[in-house]
Amino acid sequence: MMLEYVWLTPLIPLLCFVIIGFFGNKMPEGGGYVAIFGALVAFVVSLVASYEYVTGDLFAISLPFVQEMNWLTIGTYEINFGVYIDSLSCVMMLFASFISLMIFVYSVGYMGHEEKKRRRYYAEVSLFLTGMMGLVISSNYLEMFVFWEIMGLCSYLLIGFWSFKHGEGDAASQNAASAAKKAFIVTRLGDVCFMAGLFILLNEFHSLDYAIVFAQANIAAVDPTALTVATLLIFAGAVGKSAQFPLHDWLPDAMAGPTTVSALIHAATMVKGGVYLVARSFPIFVQNPDVMILVAFIGGFTAIFAASMALNNMNIKRVLAYSTLSQLGYMFLALGAGGYLMAIGMQTGNNDLIALGALGYVAGVFHMINHAFFKALLFLGSGSVIHSAGTEDMRKMGGLGKKMKITSITMLIGSLSIAGFPLLSGFWSKDLVLETALAPAQHGLGAEWTFTALFIMGIVTAFMTAFYMFRMWFMTFRGKEGEATRHAHGESPKTMTVPLIILAVFAVGSGLGILFGLSNAITESLSCTLGYLHIHTHTGMTIAEDIFTNVWTYVSIVLTLLGICLGWLMYCKKSVDPGRFNKNGESRFYRLLTKRYYFPQIYNAISWKLGYGVAKGVDYMDKEVIDGTVNGLSNAVVGTGDSLSAVQTGNLNNYAAWVYTGVIVLVAIVVAVFIVNGGI
Amino acid sequence: MSIAFIDNLDLSVISTVFGSTVPIAPQIVIILAAILSPAIYLLTKKGKAVGLFALLMIVISGILTGVMIAQGENFYGEYAGLFAFDPFSGLMMLLFLAVAFITVLASLNYSEMTKYKGEYYALILGATAGMMFVAGSSNLLTIFVGVEVVSIASYAMVALKKNDPRAAEAGFKYMVIGAISTALTLFGMSMLYGVTGTLVINEIGPVINGLGFTMPVVIGLVSIIAGYGFKIAAVPFHMWAPDVYEGAATPVSGFLATGSKKMGFVALFKIFIVLFVLASTNLAESMQWTFAVIAAITMTVGNLVAISQTNIKRMLAYSSIAQAGYILIALAVMSQYAMQGAMFHMFTHVFMKAGAFVIVAALITAGLGERIEDYRGLAKRAPFMAFAMLLFLFSLAGIPPLAGFTSKFVLFSSAIYVDGAVVTDWIWLALVAILNSAISLYYYARVVKAMYIETGESQEKVKVKGVYTFTVLLCVIGVIVLGVYPGPLLELIGQAAGDLISKIPL
Repeated sequence: MMLEYVWLTPLIPLLCFVIIGFFGNKMPEGGGYVAIFGALVAFVVSLVASYEYVTGDLFAISLPFVQEMNWLTIGTYEINFGVYIDSLSCVMMLFASFISLMIFVYSVGYMGHEEKKRRRYYAEVSLFLTGMMGLVISSNYLEMFVFWEIMGLCSYLLIGFWSFKHGEGDAASQNAASAAKKAFIVTRLGDVCFMAGLFILLNEFHSLDYAIVFAQANIAAVDPTALTVATLLIFAGAVGKSAQFPLHDWLPDAMAGPTTVSALIHAATMVKGGVYLVARSFPIFVQNPDVMILVAFIGGFTAIFAASMALNNMNIKRVLAYSTLSQLGYMFLALGAGGYLMAIGMQTGNNDLIALGALGYVAGVFHMINHAFFKALLFLGSGSVIHSAGTEDMRKMGGLGKKMKITSITMLIGSLSIAGFPLLSGFWSKDLVLETALAPAQHGLGAEWTFTALFIMGIVTAFMTAFYMFRMWFMTFRGKEGEATRHAHGESPKTMTVPLIILAVFAVGSGLGILFGLSNAITESLSCTLGYLHIHTHTGMTIAEDIFTNVWTYVSIVLTLLGICLGWLMYCKKSVDPGRFNKNGESRFYRLLTKRYYFPQIYNAISWKLGYGVAKGVDYMDKEVIDGTVNGLSNAVVGTGDSLSAVQTGNLNNYAAWVYTGVIVLVAIVVAVFIVNGGI
Repeated sequence: MSIAFIDNLDLSVISTVFGSTVPIAPQIVIILAAILSPAIYLLTKKGKAVGLFALLMIVISGILTGVMIAQGENFYGEYAGLFAFDPFSGLMMLLFLAVAFITVLASLNYSEMTKYKGEYYALILGATAGMMFVAGSSNLLTIFVGVEVVSIASYAMVALKKNDPRAAEAGFKYMVIGAISTALTLFGMSMLYGVTGTLVINEIGPVINGLGFTMPVVIGLVSIIAGYGFKIAAVPFHMWAPDVYEGAATPVSGFLATGSKKMGFVALFKIFIVLFVLASTNLAESMQWTFAVIAAITMTVGNLVAISQTNIKRMLAYSSIAQAGYILIALAVMSQYAMQGAMFHMFTHVFMKAGAFVIVAALITAGLGERIEDYRGLAKRAPFMAFAMLLFLFSLAGIPPLAGFTSKFVLFSSAIYVDGAVVTDWIWLALVAILNSAISLYYYARVVKAMYIETGESQEKVKVKGVYTFTVLLCVIGVIVLGVYPGPLLELIGQAAGDLISKIPL
């Protein structure tokens, strides 16, 4: 019933966008309640539709639900517009709409003082939700790309929402406007690659429908090299959107937007789009193990690289931003490692490997779900702190725990969860990710050094995560009262704390879903396309058993606890002086981290010196060199020294000269091509 | 298109009124309007009256063209062996009429135009008739004459803004370069005539095919490319464009960027369509490469130079140069599919570029400057205009789901596969185009940033005249509808392109 109406999930928020856009100023809260209503409807529709799909006949025989109508016909190619629902779309729909709902409710309190600007805010976040919901239910790549770009546009507008300067934060990005532009243009770089990838796919498959592109028979028929190039280009799109190395630098700057927007971007939408893209494209990605190992390494490297920058940052939102980068890296690591195993398994026909690969896929998607909950919680919590303390600088906080009980406790739960404290949600998925990296060694499949390296990256990141999260928590809520704490307003209003409490419940419990068949549901999405029916050998309790009988799990738990302890010793008990390790902020590595490995500078050098420079250069060529040369020539030929002043405008003669030069050059080209082609 | 209602309408009245001139009936209506405009101005002394009269006649002509296309078979035909009414010319006439409609609408309240109203509308209508004749031509000479009608009218239109020395300067430059281009075109056509002994386009094809690669033909064709390259502002024949767009009254700039430029493409399509069919010969291949090189250079130069512009009209001028580069892809690929893409992009470009120019005109009328920095904080001062501008600019940049994305998608993808078969020759061109549209985002985003994120000195509301809001709204609807639901138009375009190509004899 509801499954046929699943297209309502993007449409309702879109209507809200239109309504708020036109009438928001006349409504209470600038249309905030309309936005909440829209998200609520989207969530309810997703919930009912997902329930119907999972209990329906299609799911039982591993088939997706597809509904399409013709959008445009170009030549012999038909592009459709429709919905494609499988278990992956279901989980994406559910958490995206649910978390957006929480964030919108929270916004009523957080954005309450924005007056007239609220209309713009609520209109834009509704459109944002449209983008995400459309993205996950799209039935083909082009449709997905359309929604993908809508999200990009919204992020641009929302990041630039507060276009005044922030007093704190890194010097490189104090301006919301430039942050917005950076986000837009950097992700756009990925989008260009994505689009090029789509062209190749269209060229090879003559369609962009998932149902056609993912069919094994069709994949077997196309040129593998072209497919590899296409997947690499598509992955570049994911790297841009999910802010992976080397296109990661826009995300920390995007903190310039309102905190709720950061929560939306980091937890529910935007950056999850990239992970979803790789998960969705899994059937074509697994055709080449090399692509998959690249995905894994980009992910692993980003995980550790971003975590390192979170170690010494003083801005509460930026610490969370780096942690998002790092956690996204985990997801790519899991998808890549799993995909590699599956690719090898498919080539050699080894079913064990295929099952292990499916486990990696589960780990990646599962971590994405859990991350959505605890990261939304942490961002909204940090928003609550900023709302109360009026600063983002953790040095000025401290001791806030007494004034903000609910915020501090929910944030503690979020931090424990992300750090991987046993039995909280982050623990399950993080250890599943590490499990995937260990799999070849543990199952006697030959411990390849690549996987060992991935595992080391993963486990070191786990330690760093525990440390920087608790550094943040202790600096904010414990210790001596900071300057900002003294002026803090106290606990935030109910509309902000209630979403925090609800999210905290999920941050504790969402991981338990794995014990109750969530992993089967997720792998069913692969069965839909790859044709291996029910590839899940690791079900519910066996996964728990795997995790708890693995010695490395205990190593990671110990590392997590060590990280938490170190944070406590340094920033709460203060018995270990952090200055000892970094020469009081003077060490070279410390500065390297504060400067974000000089990435902003590198970006600037490339975009300014190269991009703008080239533009300037061409303009200069157009105006000076070319005109100048032609002037010189004409002076020499005509012998008049004042050709410049002869015509009032100065360069009309050059324009004319160019027309003739153009003709001569064109004739030369025609003849040259003719000769090259073996004519005459 | 088959709308039962129109199919069943009895339209024999059209045949009764126009007799043997039915195939040029839409042009006749416009010419009548052009002749009557000055007279109406003399009688009423009101510029607006002339404008409304012009609008009325454009609408009549548009409806006439529309029903004639809808009832196709009854009306397709030739007049005097020179002009034909067929799906292609009908569709292009509609395009030009749409341009004229928007231009006249935007001129009604325009402040830069002080007097000479009667002449002004007569010139617009005359130019429109010229463009429509080009669309219907089946003979080199009539194409030439049609283009000249447009050119001469445009020189006068540019120079008509008499209170601004920039306009006089621009008009003069435009005329000199235009004269050179005319001379080149005529030279090229006479070369072709000398070789083939005919001016009928469909007869030239087989003769050239028989001759193969000869220098006179090459020189003839290249001269024609140069002559019409001036009209479409392809590099290096583009230099006049920024000066003229900046100097001319803004509605005129819009008219040149959307109408006159499209006419150049129609002329090129008409003349080079012969080669589409012969695409495997050596000659065709050489011409394809020539167009590919022009396309790549045009889009790159247009986009790169646009980055460093500070005047919004100049920026739009360079952006139009870049868009011409995209459309030129069709002439490089030379397939029916590419042609469809090009025609589609021509349609979408009308709405997005004309819309942008109308906004500039509206803001100039309301007292705003032409520099990009004058647009700071516009989102607060004129929310609808700012939002519409954002849509137009993002559409130009090719961001889905706006019209510019859909048409660019069709156009760029045509460089990769040609009517079902994969062609690898032009993949590089598609990549250059995609990279270019990424670059273009930079300068479009700059304007959006100025409007939405920066704050200007003045916070006052900008009062925009109702007629501008209406015109902009029309363009917004066009940009959204063509982006989201391009099906019907694409179908018509497919039919037109197919018809044009199927008529070529070998």
